[in-house]
Order: sequence, then C-alpha cells, then structure tokens
Amino acid sequence: MEEKIISLMREIASESGAELNANIVRDTVLLESGLDSLGFAILIARLEEELGYDPFTMMEEPVYPQTFGELVDIYQRFAA
Amino acid sequence: MSTLTLESVLRQLPPARPCLIGTAGCVTVGQTLEVAHALRANWSQVNGGRIALCGLPPGELIPALIALDGFAKELLLLPASTDAGTSENLMAQAGVTHILEAGTKHCRAVNDGCFEQTKGEPTRWLLATSGTTGAPKLIAHRLATLTRTVHRDPVRGADFVWGLLYDPARFAGLQVVLQALFSGSALVLSERVEFDSQVTALMRYPVNALSATPTLWRKLLMDGRISNLVLRQLTLGGETADQAILDALKARFPAARIVHIYASTEAGTGFAVQDGRAGFPSDWLNDTTRNPALRVSAHGHLLIKASLMPQGAEINARLNSEGYLDTQDLVRLEGDRVLFMGRASGAINVGGNKVNPEWLESYLRGIEGVLDARVFAKSSSMMGQLVAAEIMATEGAELKSLRQHILQCCRSELESWQTPALITFVNALKETAAGKRERLST
Repeated sequence: MEEKIISLMREIASESGAELNANIVRDTVLLESGLDSLGFAILIARLEEELGYDPFTMMEEPVYPQTFGELVDIYQRFAA
Repeated sequence: MSTLTLESVLRQLPPARPCLIGTAGCVTVGQTLEVAHALRANWSQVNGGRIALCGLPPGELIPALIALDGFAKELLLLPASTDAGTSENLMAQAGVTHILEAGTKHCRAVNDGCFEQTKGEPTRWLLATSGTTGAPKLIAHRLATLTRTVHRDPVRGADFVWGLLYDPARFAGLQVVLQALFSGSALVLSERVEFDSQVTALMRYPVNALSATPTLWRKLLMDGRISNLVLRQLTLGGETADQAILDALKARFPAARIVHIYASTEAGTGFAVQDGRAGFPSDWLNDTTRNPALRVSAHGHLLIKASLMPQGAEINARLNSEGYLDTQDLVRLEGDRVLFMGRASGAINVGGNKVNPEWLESYLRGIEGVLDARVFAKSSSMMGQLVAAEIMATEGAELKSLRQHILQCCRSELESWQTPALITFVNALKETAAGKRERLST
C-alpha cells in the first residue's frame, strides 16, 4: 500500500511539475511532501480508481491525515 | 433616514475598538476612519466617479472602501487574480472613470467620461461573477444587499476576532470583511495570500472566528495548527459542504457554532444552515414566511426570492414571473433534507474555483492528437469536485505520450484546477438522448 501511494504521488507530482520530497517516510507531513492540496485530492481520486474505494467517504468519524503514515493507516483500515 | 454607508456603520462603534490587525499591529476603528478620511481628502476629484479597485491587498482595500462608499457612484472590485484582459473588459463594461491600484493611493483618471457628484445616493458595488468561460459578468449590489444577512451586534461583536482567508474583492471575502466591520469585530489580515502565511497570521493574533471553503477547511485540518485555536464560529461557504467535513469540524471544535452558508454573487447571501447537517431542511421549501423564500423548479433548480436582490439586466433575465431567481443550482430531496447536486450548466467547482466544461472541451480539442473530448465533474471527498476528461484520440495516436502532451499543454496554459485530474481514453463519447453531451457528475 505504501509503495502504491508513493508511486502515485510521484506520478502526480511529475504531471503537475512539482517536486516530491525524495524521502517520504511515515512521519512526513503530507502538506510538506511536495503535493499541494489539489495534488492530494487527485491522489485520493486516483487511489479510488485503482483500489475501488475512497475511505474518506466511508469513515464514521472523519479524520483528515496530517502525516503520510496516518494516510496509509486510513487506507489499510478500509481495505476489504 | 440617512444612507447606510460603511462610514456610518463604523461611526457607531467605540473608536478605541480594535478594527484591523496586520503585521504592523492593530489599528482601531477611530484610526481606520482617520485613514479613510485622509484618503477621501486626496480623492475629492473622484466624487461621483466610477472607480475600479484593482487587486488591492486587504489592508489597502478596506480603508479605500470606507473612503469611497457613499462618495463614489460605483465601485468595481477586481480581485488580485483577475488577468489583464478580463480587467479591461470589466472596466469597459462598468465605464470606469478612475483606477486605484495596489500601492499607489492614487485614483488615476482613465478617460474623460463625464460624471456628476453624488447626492447621498447609495454607491453601487460591482462584483464580477466567478466566470467559468473567461467572461465574468458584473452584478450590481448596494451595501444593503451585501449585508442583508450580516449580523449587526457590536456588543457580541467585541468578543470575536475574525480571520480573513479569502480575497476581500470577491463575494465570500467581502462578506467576512463586512461581518467584522458591521459587528465591530477585529479582523486579522494576512500579509500574503499563501496558505502558510495565512495560517501564521491566524495563529499570531489568535482568531476565534473563521470562514473558509470546505476544501480549505480540510487543508486546515490536515495542517493541524488550527487545532491550537479556540474557534467559536466556523463558517463554510463557496462550495457544497459535505457531511464528512461538518462532522470532522464538530469533532475538532465541539463548542463552536458551525454554519454552512449557501450564497452566490448573483443572489447575495442566500441562507445559513446551523444544524450540522449537509444540505438544508426540506420544510424550508415553499415556506413564504422565510426570507429568502425557496422553491425547486420542475427541472430541479433551486429558486430563491429575497426581499433585497441585486439589480441589473443579468438578474432580471433570470427572474420568473413571481420574482424568483433561478440559481442554476441543482438540488435533490432526500428524506427531510434538500441536498445540492452541482450546477445545472455542468460547471465544475474545484474547491471553490469554477470550470466551464464546454470551454475546456474546446480547449482540449485544439490539442494535437485530440479528436474530441468530454469534460465532467468527478466528485471528490477532498475538493468537492475534480475535472475529469474522456478523450477520443486521433487515429494512430500513442496514448501514453498523448496523455503527457495534454497534461503538458494544460500545465503551461491553464490554471492547475482547470487541468483534468483524471484522463481516460475512449472510442466514443457519451451523449444524452437529445444529442447533448452527457455531463452528470460521477
């Protein structure tokens, strides 16, 4: 999951001419990863295309992740 | 009764009340009025003129508005992001006589257009609709129509410190400015429009009231620093607020009043919803005691009729025989709620920025290798909607490199939100039975 998300982040960053943080780790703050909030929204949409779900529409108590690790955890929690 | 002006409103507030807070410190109501008076003294030649305020930062725009409201005949508010062509077009439409630009404090005469001094008439405030086709239209307001739903309670207002996250030359930003001025609440201005600088300003002078789009609220939650603020009033506007963001804000700020507002430049503020649920109660429909009165047309468009509406041909053309304005917003009834489904025109709202699908299709068709294109909204849990495009490629095109080529063209010529976030290649494009392009959002 982590790798899939990072590779999509790289793809989106390169499409938009942004530079992704070379070393994305669990503690990386998403808004400092190199993707802006539009890039992040595109990431969530592309992940939905690939995985078939968008956890942010499924959460009982919505949380917006601050770090990359929190994002990965959210996707893993809702993986069927 | 004397005419309602910004100055008359400020004069009723205690002069020592904090008014504008910027990097240079706090300016009181009395000092703000002094600044406005000094500006007006220098601008005596523009009395009765039609003045374009071009891309002024909030710290310059607000005193200028106080100086010119009730003094100029018309004020054309042009946001900093307006491109030169659009500015010229709008200034020509408005027939402006003077231009005030950032950093100049000088109203430059632009033509010999004649104008007479105003005699106590309310100033017309001209706001550009957020154009989706590159051709925004002007809507004429008066201070009274802009502030129809603004609370004017200087006693309660003393307890609030508002943060400004929007360009005050746009409707949403202007609402925040007017709310703060009318209630005598302090307003924190960020020096720059970048997100980080804005959040830093909010934290430096801790604000307790904030208005933002749902997209910006999600970003503020992801950023996390906002959790250190004790927010008492949260307003969401500019795009549809979904249940997830309302719930997330409620969980983070349980004691705060959370309001999502339905508003448009055309209709002035529509209404505020405070029950924490997406959409609005269906029993508000057809209740003629409500202001504004609300209805749903046979085509599922929300119709709205307020006691004070902005004026002009653009508005009149959209009124039905009973005086209801067609908002062009599609709604759907679900149980006891009326939910927003997007624009009837198919316009896509990417975090508050609107994209016209026909315009984008025509742009995409101009790219080498693209035979035809269909542009539609893809709903997004982060930004409300994103732009999706289906592309029919010309025969023999190599799709992977065509995709790169399309993105490259968009990136160099369009705004980031206009660039398709999702591109798929198809052999044929969906059309409706009427032969129109199918644009229902997915």
